[in-house]
Amino acid sequence: MPQSDSEVIRRVLDGETAAYEVLVRRYQQTVFRLAQRMTRNAEDARDLAQEAFVQAYRSLAGFRGHASFSTWLYRIAMNLCLSHLKATRREDPVEVDAGVADARDDSLTALLADERDRALAAAIEQLPPQQRATLTLRVHQGLSHREIAEVLDCAEGTAKANYFHAIRTLQRRLEAFRDTG
Amino acid sequence: MPGCDGIRDRLMDFIEGELSAEEHRPVEAHLRRCPQCSREVVGLREALARVQALPEPAASAHLLDGFAAAVQGRLAAERPRRLPFWRKAAARLDGFVRARPIPTFSAAAVLGILLVIGLVRTSGRPQVSPAPEVLVVGDSLSMAQHLDVLEQFDLLEDLDLLEQLPFLRGPGNNRPLTLS
Repeated sequence: MPQSDSEVIRRVLDGETAAYEVLVRRYQQTVFRLAQRMTRNAEDARDLAQEAFVQAYRSLAGFRGHASFSTWLYRIAMNLCLSHLKATRREDPVEVDAGVADARDDSLTALLADERDRALAAAIEQLPPQQRATLTLRVHQGLSHREIAEVLDCAEGTAKANYFHAIRTLQRRLEAFRDTG
Repeated sequence: MPGCDGIRDRLMDFIEGELSAEEHRPVEAHLRRCPQCSREVVGLREALARVQALPEPAASAHLLDGFAAAVQGRLAAERPRRLPFWRKAAARLDGFVRARPIPTFSAAAVLGILLVIGLVRTSGRPQVSPAPEVLVVGDSLSMAQHLDVLEQFDLLEDLDLLEQLPFLRGPGNNRPLTLS
């Protein structure tokens, strides 16, 4: 039976540093994906994810256990990602890799779909950081609005409003894409 | 009935099925009669579906190889973060109470009641001591011993015989001490 997060944390705080690897292995994929969606760069995402785990270890004594460890870890990771975005903000829109697509044929439909995904990914990158963070946590991490509010240290209503505005912005971007073809 | 502005805040919850039945009804009723909001819901639903369907960003399959070891390597240079003993005790007590709140608080309440009862009873009860009559006799004897002497002095003084008692003379002189 795998140990719970709180049991592992207790072992680490009792001096068993090696036990922390259990938490790293448990959440490395999730934290990396979160950072990758935020930064759109795999190498940056890996470095940020590593830094998140190191910072979480340093602050482990302050983890009260009122929130889940994963929520608390996401908060550290998201803060790092938002700082990274602020530090590397670009004026010009960049060519965004929409993602790894399944094998597609060369039909026009497929090409248009690919273009639409690229436009959508670019629109997500241009969202204000808080809206982008909310969207990522909600759609790709599956967090509730309450959990998102804990991660982003905002009110639940603010998290909901950011989410709505993010989706509405993307809706309008998709309509514009459709209209311009 | 809510207007468009009152509905807008709840559209995403409506789309994601997070409204209660009571909250769902007025939103649904508004959408039935408002083509603009109805179109907006269609657009929001499509945008959400497209975002959900976006493929994972490209990443090498081996990018996370050695990730955990790299983290542990960085931590090896750091000292273990130990809690001070009082924080550990507080954390364990907190965990115990959280895991068993009802028995813990019940036990605490019973202990508190017993403590109060104990304090009330001990504060009203006299200290263990000899029987009162023994105390009275003892005190009287003590007083009597001194009273006897004092009374004797008083009597002697009245009889002007005090100065004749040699032990009352000051050392090195023959003048009697006077009692003031």
